[in-house]
Amino acid sequence: MKKIMISLLAVMLVISVSFVFSDGQTDAFTSRDLSKGSTGDDVIELQARLQYIGFYNGEIDGKFGYGTYWALRSFQEKYGMPLDGIAGTLTKKKLVAASSYDEKFVMDNLKKGNQFTHYGGKPLSSQVKQGGGKKENIHLPSKYSEQDLNLMANAVYGESRGEPYEGQVAVAAVILNRVEHPDFPDTVGGVIFQPGAFTAVADGQIWLTPNDRAKEAVLDALNGWDPSENSIYYFNPITATSKWIWSRPQTKKIGLHIFCH
Amino acid sequence: MGCLLIMKKIIFVLAYALVVITVFAVNKTSESEKLSLALGNQYAKKMSDASEKLEELDSAVKQTLLFNESEGSVKAREDIWRLSADIKNSVASLPLDQSFSTSWMNYLGRIGNYAKEVDSSGIPDDYHTVMAQASKNLGQMKNEWLIATTGLVNGRYSVDEWSERLNAHNGESNWTNISHSIKNYTESDFPLTASESDRMKKKELKNIDEPKVTQAEAIKRFQHLFPAVSNDVIGVEMSKPGAPYPFFHIRFTDGESLGYIDITEKGGHVLSYLSERPHRKTALSYEEIKKKAEEFLLLAEYKDLVFEEARENETAWHLVYVRKEPFYEAKVFSDTIHLKVAKDTGELIGLNAAEYIQKEKLHRQKVNKIDWKEFFHEDVKIVRNELSYVENEKFEQRLAYYLTVTRDEQGHTGTYNVLVDTENKDVIKTEKLN
Repeated sequence: MKKIMISLLAVMLVISVSFVFSDGQTDAFTSRDLSKGSTGDDVIELQARLQYIGFYNGEIDGKFGYGTYWALRSFQEKYGMPLDGIAGTLTKKKLVAASSYDEKFVMDNLKKGNQFTHYGGKPLSSQVKQGGGKKENIHLPSKYSEQDLNLMANAVYGESRGEPYEGQVAVAAVILNRVEHPDFPDTVGGVIFQPGAFTAVADGQIWLTPNDRAKEAVLDALNGWDPSENSIYYFNPITATSKWIWSRPQTKKIGLHIFCH
Repeated sequence: MGCLLIMKKIIFVLAYALVVITVFAVNKTSESEKLSLALGNQYAKKMSDASEKLEELDSAVKQTLLFNESEGSVKAREDIWRLSADIKNSVASLPLDQSFSTSWMNYLGRIGNYAKEVDSSGIPDDYHTVMAQASKNLGQMKNEWLIATTGLVNGRYSVDEWSERLNAHNGESNWTNISHSIKNYTESDFPLTASESDRMKKKELKNIDEPKVTQAEAIKRFQHLFPAVSNDVIGVEMSKPGAPYPFFHIRFTDGESLGYIDITEKGGHVLSYLSERPHRKTALSYEEIKKKAEEFLLLAEYKDLVFEEARENETAWHLVYVRKEPFYEAKVFSDTIHLKVAKDTGELIGLNAAEYIQKEKLHRQKVNKIDWKEFFHEDVKIVRNELSYVENEKFEQRLAYYLTVTRDEQGHTGTYNVLVDTENKDVIKTEKLN
């Protein structure tokens, strides 16, 4: 009886260990294929695992860009797989078998905005630097930076948070139209902080924390949408004090704003 | 007796509070005055710096007129470009009348670009004529600038008083007159080039030569392209008379979706479309998303496009398609369509086709072979080589080698797009890819 009990316990122990092991290894990724342009927690895991075995030296940010792409191809090459730069079922399986992933460590540090790496062979605790700022998990066109997105989201929220979504995208588009226009500064910051250009800068509302809707509106504008139809000015006819603004050719009214050239 | 004591205490507390509030208010006022003074000083300094640089710019323009040979005035032309950029930055950060600052920035940009382009394309025959006229006008503008900014530079006005004067101007002030004259100088000294004018025409859809559609036809087009959200149109407005091209602005709400679509009056082309709705957590695979996007492109009869790139975000994928011209099979990056596809259902929630409506005019161009081993440093690896049409600095559409290259950068693989003119081997653009 004692022997049976010991055997049962041993079997249960083996099953538990293999369950814990398998939970962290084979079932870790989602079922979808990951390719250039993908974003999300499974991309974070992909980057962390590639870094663990030394293929990826970039930042673990959950955005599958060229850095991740070349790292994945190198991994595929070394493990004799087709070189497609896509993390499909086979690639993920091989990667899980070859690497380790400390999800709690990675997610905690991302949440805290710490600078960190996830290399194998040295203690993870020694790979963290406090601070560095929390990063947005947003995939932008190459010509724009996260700072552009954040600054514009602040401006859009401060200027038009009560407006329809289309109106918020249009305000973001006006900022970008000005950056391209010879009459205005040629950077996002230069346009937003040009004295007298935006009410939200003058009254400090630009420093309110923008919501996800404002960020989404900016993201659409950065991706090319322009509901303002190439406008470079807008104003609220109820509150506008400048007489000059009424002299501009008007294009369209969205919510409370009139957009003009 | 007790009542008197309480009264005394209350009076003491009130008097104490009054003293504290008064001290606080005096401190605040003094702090505010100091800040205002500091800001005024900063603005005065920037204005005075800009005035000095304007003097230098005037001098640099005059120096370039001394020589016939391009070498003789290279430095002066570089100075024109640098100083005009510096003054432009100063103008951008100063509290000036809006019409004045915009016309100034445009003029400064144009004079700087003209001097810069001369270096890359050789001295044109009319350089002396253009710059002699510009120099005369610049001298005039310099004087007007000094008069216009004197109130803040010499401390006659505080920042508040200066701002009040700017806001109160009635359209007939000095500012307006100056900005009118600068605009006139810009048009006469640096008129739009043919390629700039073409670019403007494309943006303003000037060359659409198609019959007008009615409001009902525009709505029908909307219903054909987006049947799932077009059952309840809540408003159709015509664009305002000042719009460069007339269009129908259609707003809709259907179930959880709310959005708009803009359709041109000429030809009934979609300019842009966006729909907003709550999104579920579930997500289709990227292949399914791309398939849905391409089914839509066929439905909308956008047939000459090829896939360029895709980016995933919280609720949607943004996909970019570009036109492929048939002769060289080159991608035309100015004729682009953007799609936004919901991750949860694969529904098309955004379409941006404004750039695609009026196709670029493309010209045949010599395709010279380039020895890439000689062209790039030895550690650069080419991973993609295609042809494309892109806009150069002069806004001309040029056929270019569209290369994606990599280079080892201390353990990271740096990836770049490099666009090289097929005829003259000029590097039109280099972009670091993330």
